[in-house]
Amino acid sequence: MAKARKGWRAHGERSVRKGAPGISRRALLKAAGTGALGLTALGTVPGLWRWGAAAPAQLKGTSLSILQATYFIPAAQDLYKKQAQEWGQVQGVTVNTDFLNWPDLQPKISAAIQAGGYDIVELFPGWNYLYAENLVDLTDLAEAVAKKGGGWEGFVANDIKVNGRYLGVSHGNSNDSLNYRISWLKEVGVNLPDPAEQARTGKFLDLTFDEWFALGKKLKAKGRPLGQALGHSLGDPGSFCYPYMWSNGAMEVEKDGKTIAFNKPMFVDAMKRFIQAYKDGFDETGPSWDDSSNNKAFHAGQISMTLNGSSIYAVALKDFPEIAKDMNHTLIPKGPTGRFSLLGARTFGILKNSKNVAGAREFLAWWFDDKQYGDWIHIQGGYQLPSTKKWAKDPMWGKDPKMYAFSLQPSIGRDQGWAGPPNAKSGLAFSKYIIVDTFAKAVQSGDAAGSIKWGADQLQAIYGG
Amino acid sequence: MPDLHPAAARPEPLSAGRRGATYPRSLLEREPSLGLLLMLPGTLLLVIFMAYPFFLGLWLSLTDSMIGHPGRYVGLQNFVHLLGDSIFRQTARNTFVYALVTVPFKLMLGLGLALVLNTAIPFRNAIRAGVLMPFIVPTALSSLGWLMLFDPIFSPFSWLLKHWGLITRNINFLGTPVLAIVSVMVANIWRGTPFFAITILAGLQAVPAELHDAAAIDGAGAWQRFWNVTVPIILGVMLVSTLFSIIMTFADFQLIYVLTKGGPANETHIFGTYAYQIGLSATAIGQGAAIALYMFPILAVLAILLLRYLRREVA
Repeated sequence: MAKARKGWRAHGERSVRKGAPGISRRALLKAAGTGALGLTALGTVPGLWRWGAAAPAQLKGTSLSILQATYFIPAAQDLYKKQAQEWGQVQGVTVNTDFLNWPDLQPKISAAIQAGGYDIVELFPGWNYLYAENLVDLTDLAEAVAKKGGGWEGFVANDIKVNGRYLGVSHGNSNDSLNYRISWLKEVGVNLPDPAEQARTGKFLDLTFDEWFALGKKLKAKGRPLGQALGHSLGDPGSFCYPYMWSNGAMEVEKDGKTIAFNKPMFVDAMKRFIQAYKDGFDETGPSWDDSSNNKAFHAGQISMTLNGSSIYAVALKDFPEIAKDMNHTLIPKGPTGRFSLLGARTFGILKNSKNVAGAREFLAWWFDDKQYGDWIHIQGGYQLPSTKKWAKDPMWGKDPKMYAFSLQPSIGRDQGWAGPPNAKSGLAFSKYIIVDTFAKAVQSGDAAGSIKWGADQLQAIYGG
Repeated sequence: MPDLHPAAARPEPLSAGRRGATYPRSLLEREPSLGLLLMLPGTLLLVIFMAYPFFLGLWLSLTDSMIGHPGRYVGLQNFVHLLGDSIFRQTARNTFVYALVTVPFKLMLGLGLALVLNTAIPFRNAIRAGVLMPFIVPTALSSLGWLMLFDPIFSPFSWLLKHWGLITRNINFLGTPVLAIVSVMVANIWRGTPFFAITILAGLQAVPAELHDAAAIDGAGAWQRFWNVTVPIILGVMLVSTLFSIIMTFADFQLIYVLTKGGPANETHIFGTYAYQIGLSATAIGQGAAIALYMFPILAVLAILLLRYLRREVA
């Protein structure tokens, strides 16, 4: 029997974390012998399904390299590293975890696919389609995680199956809503819900885009504009541009996934309003902003409202308590055709050229167990939207009423490519920043129709090519 | 010729075994084989790190390869397709503007700096070392410094100008089309000027003082001495530096990737950054290779000019 580390208890031939659900291998084999215990059934026993896919590999002495995006909640990144190291020490596996700026992640994954070097990679929405032939089929593991978690959240279910297979296991996605300064909005006459009451009553600051723009004009007049990134970055620019497009009757493609539906008169009109609003109500340096710029601007008191994850709030709670006290969140505004949020699933996948696929599977199976995954979710205090439904009822959501808007976000989530299905083409359009650049061109040139035509031509080249 | 070696001292004929044992030594003693041996490491490095990637890139550009898919041969389809891509056309324009505007500035500023550094000024050696700093510091690092200087919210430039009452709003250095490309050019000029300064300085030090003295005796002023004595002697160095700089500027990547990633709305994309975006982020590695290879004819012409000039100089 393996010698158990402090904090772990010996369990058969390997150690498991104290408090983690467990079962002996003998019991498992016995159950399997009944003929009724397939992979699916294994999923009903928390912490066990990992044994089902293949005979446990001899991991000791191997190494495992994990690549993912850097965290906007630093404590969560530290926790993930600690968890990976703990698992590695117990299993005798040398674990290396690398975290990259969001825009640098995809080129690095591409390089790893060509040249090797990583076993587990974090995939942003759409990338599991782009790299479909280079990812290990993790259907058994993903289905077990989904089953154990009460099923995928809607934004996950729509997104992560490629040709009927799961090429990664989703951990959810970071959240995104409108962050605002309470006192500054009150100064310009906005009637705001009491943060403590909003979760109980279900009331939140419910704005249309046009109302938001009008509000921005008043706020900018007081030197506190709205902030919206429109640069080449994976997070915030798309978080505004895609929903604004959808809310105004346009989309990349129709449901058929082929017919370009971008150059719509309603969208051209909406873009004209946005161009004017950007001058009147926004910080006009936004076209050069990346994902961190609005965080810095909000903390510096330069902007009064911005679409962002709750990372602004989380950092404020720690470093800018006065700002944290004076801020709240609400859902992204709505347009004539509804309210949407760009929300696809991020997954952990295993590269086919990994030299330690067995170790990578073991690690993911262990990490998606409630203990590890739950700790990781909890430390982010709602910044991370969990991938499965059972976490929607987690007490975490009731702890801070200012996080209420984020709990509503999954219900309005749509992925890239919507109304078509997410696929390699929508991933390509996203990687080329076609939608974001359409907006950036529009505010720079003032030509709504020309910019949208440019975007439509680019989309035609991608979807029609 | 008289036999200088007595028979006893003469080496014995090599047996087959001994011939084998001394073979490497004889190889080292013969000039042609020694030359080949000395060239081998460099050749291997060139083959592994230059020739192989180049030919691989050439092959990829002729295929529809995606990351992780080998792809199939499609001839010149990628190159033709790119001509119809408005982002690529904008990228090509940007690259030419970026290179052709920055290089003259770098040349002029580098020449000026070199002339100053060639005079007897206090702390000359320390200043020369300092001038090299932009060139020595890794570009990725110095680009981060420029990123902070151009920050839309916290730029010290904007802060100073606001403090002096010259502007009321932050300057949008990297967020407007013209200013964005101008800003990255300024950073490029800052980084590239020391290269010109140091190479031209080396050329200036080869100018014989006697020529200047003779010209001065003949009544030539400072400008005439510079134009008629200095310039003809350093012209070769200036030309070589300029060609090298054009090549390096055309092939730039790091500075723009760190500062703008080609944004806003592709206004600062150059061949290197767009090839990277299409090849590695958008996973169309065949197309990415084709974008990068569009640089090749331009760089090849420059390289041929450079080599012809150098050969003429040697001759």
